[in-house]
Amino acid sequence: MSRARFGVDRYRRRQRVWNFVESPYVVHAVLFLAVFFIITPLVWDLVTSLKTREGVLALTYLPQDPTLAAYERALFDRGFWQAVVNSVIVASASTAVVMLLGTPAGYVFSRFRFPFDNAVFVFVLFTRLFPPIGLVTPYYRIMTSTGLQNTKVGIVIANVYLWLPLVIYIMRNFFITIPQALDEAARVDGCTKVQAFRHIVFPVVLPGFAFAFTVSTDLNSMTIPVATFLFVGDTSIDWAAMTAAAVVAVIPSALVVVFFQRYIVVGMTGGLKGE
Amino acid sequence: MYRSERREDYQVAVYEVIPMSESSEDIHVDGTAREASDERDVSLRLDGVKKVFGDGEVVAVNDFSMEIYEGEFIVLVGPSGCGKTTTLRTVAGLEEPTEGRILIDGENVAGQDPRERDIAMVFQSYALYPHKTVRENIGFPLEIRKYPADEVEERVVETAEMLGIGELLDRRPADLSGGQQQRVALGRAVIRSPKLFLFDEPLSNLDAKLRIEMRTELNKLHDRVGKTSVYVTHDQAEAMTLGDRVVVMNDGEIQQVAPPEEVYARPVNQFVAGFIGEPPMNIFDASATMTEDGVRVTAGGFDLTLPPSVAETVRSWGRDLDRLELGIRPESFEDAALLELGIRPESFEDAALLDVPPADGRSFEARVMVVEPMGAHTDLAVRATGHEDDESAEFTARVSNDTDAVAGETVRLAVALDEVHLFDAVSGDNLLV
Repeated sequence: MSRARFGVDRYRRRQRVWNFVESPYVVHAVLFLAVFFIITPLVWDLVTSLKTREGVLALTYLPQDPTLAAYERALFDRGFWQAVVNSVIVASASTAVVMLLGTPAGYVFSRFRFPFDNAVFVFVLFTRLFPPIGLVTPYYRIMTSTGLQNTKVGIVIANVYLWLPLVIYIMRNFFITIPQALDEAARVDGCTKVQAFRHIVFPVVLPGFAFAFTVSTDLNSMTIPVATFLFVGDTSIDWAAMTAAAVVAVIPSALVVVFFQRYIVVGMTGGLKGE
Repeated sequence: MYRSERREDYQVAVYEVIPMSESSEDIHVDGTAREASDERDVSLRLDGVKKVFGDGEVVAVNDFSMEIYEGEFIVLVGPSGCGKTTTLRTVAGLEEPTEGRILIDGENVAGQDPRERDIAMVFQSYALYPHKTVRENIGFPLEIRKYPADEVEERVVETAEMLGIGELLDRRPADLSGGQQQRVALGRAVIRSPKLFLFDEPLSNLDAKLRIEMRTELNKLHDRVGKTSVYVTHDQAEAMTLGDRVVVMNDGEIQQVAPPEEVYARPVNQFVAGFIGEPPMNIFDASATMTEDGVRVTAGGFDLTLPPSVAETVRSWGRDLDRLELGIRPESFEDAALLELGIRPESFEDAALLDVPPADGRSFEARVMVVEPMGAHTDLAVRATGHEDDESAEFTARVSNDTDAVAGETVRLAVALDEVHLFDAVSGDNLLV
């Protein structure tokens, strides 16, 4: 009896531990911590951006006399607006090119067999695994020799090089979750291969497309972060204006995330099954 | 009946057994088929179709040749991996055959896209377009061919009504039950009038009850639409009930092409015999000796005397009579006690086949191991007397439900002698057809 009894007791004890770990209190505490860590810098940013230039140094948590002056300085005085415009242009152009090339490429890698297909795919991924810092010198050489240094086109090309493999990979994985019978049904129903992609496969993969789109837009909007360093002067740093610029920089990303939230969840949890 | 009338047409010319041998130049269907084509138009012709996957390692389909006539319903049946789906996909244009030709209405379709072949196909997974409504799904084949919108709408409604899904037109596939999805898939196929319908195991995802319902509906649909259809299944019940002719395949090769009744009653080899029929045919190691009355076949624990007509066939073989296999379908047995009482199930109607009471050589005793009453009939798991301890000697006898057989006791089983089969133990060929 004792042996069996012992086993049951141990089982019950373990069950109690798990019941506690999985209880709403613990789960919420963990979630709260996670949110706290993520949101604290943002709140700090926001609070600081509402202070005056001198108020930043006053070492109070809340601004003594809240003002939007920092935003005024950030957006109008320092050419930050130009950086935002550049960001939008570069991000849109890079994203457009990446998605335009990456989606069909992902489809091809998911569906068609051709000589060395796996080798080509691994090679595509390999280019992304190369440490970006190692690319700085060759990039610089290429850009200067083609006259593209300090141009938006140059940045777009660099972005495309960096993010295209990732998008191809993401899109390929989404396409793989879509049964091939769908393409085949479309082709039997009267579609060419391209029509089958356009009318059937692409609309079905749209959530995946939205996910890849979000990821690449986010990663491509790199010029605003650079622009925040405009506020580092020779003799002083305008912390308030810098944080104001950072808050502004967050807005586009935040909007994209809010708008595509559903698809991001789908993308993160890997797959369109059950759609 | 419409269906059986058509079957009689084929009987003239189309029964054709394609041997398993490789060197089949001289024994293709062509000879017989050419006579037949005078009467009926050939809708689909496969000519030596071979499909190899990988670098020649996997031969999925080997030397598949047959002609399918206008309006015929052909069922390809076989175990999984026998090449039936691959054959269908080569017809659809989703795979290109490695060798051989495919002709649809006399036109060689080699290299043509599926859309150019004027076919419709129903997939095992239905392959409904998840982002489109039922209306858009059914109408898609017309829409992509740029039919005017009002005509598309009209035909969608008409098709949906015919399939009993008229009220579901604005739903999406995810909101439909399996049976409804199946109907949408059928609707998408029948809305056009293609030259050929292809079905790839369309009922295998349905539960048993629905599958039987849809089977009946498919039958009705085919009678109404009357189009040439090629249907792939691993379910022999579907093959038997749907097919005008059944093509039994194994290991990428055709085993037998014949109407369902023929495949059942006269299987050309042991594979077909074992595959068609449920429960499967019992196979016994056997040997034969010629006697005055006919042929005495000795299997484990019992003897059967086959009638003189069989004896003539056997005499003509001139082969080793010690290495045979005897095949008896479970339903070819009957509880001899019931025959004495005058209760004769269909297979025993010809009293001449059987003395009453059954004499030796037509019946034998066996120990009942398990009794499984099925309602309409009763299945007995039995072992012939003298082999009670031999598990491998156990076989199934399907007898009338009036039987008094009790597990552990002995029953006398009569055999419908005109329904037994003798197979060559080595090649598996049926020696009596």
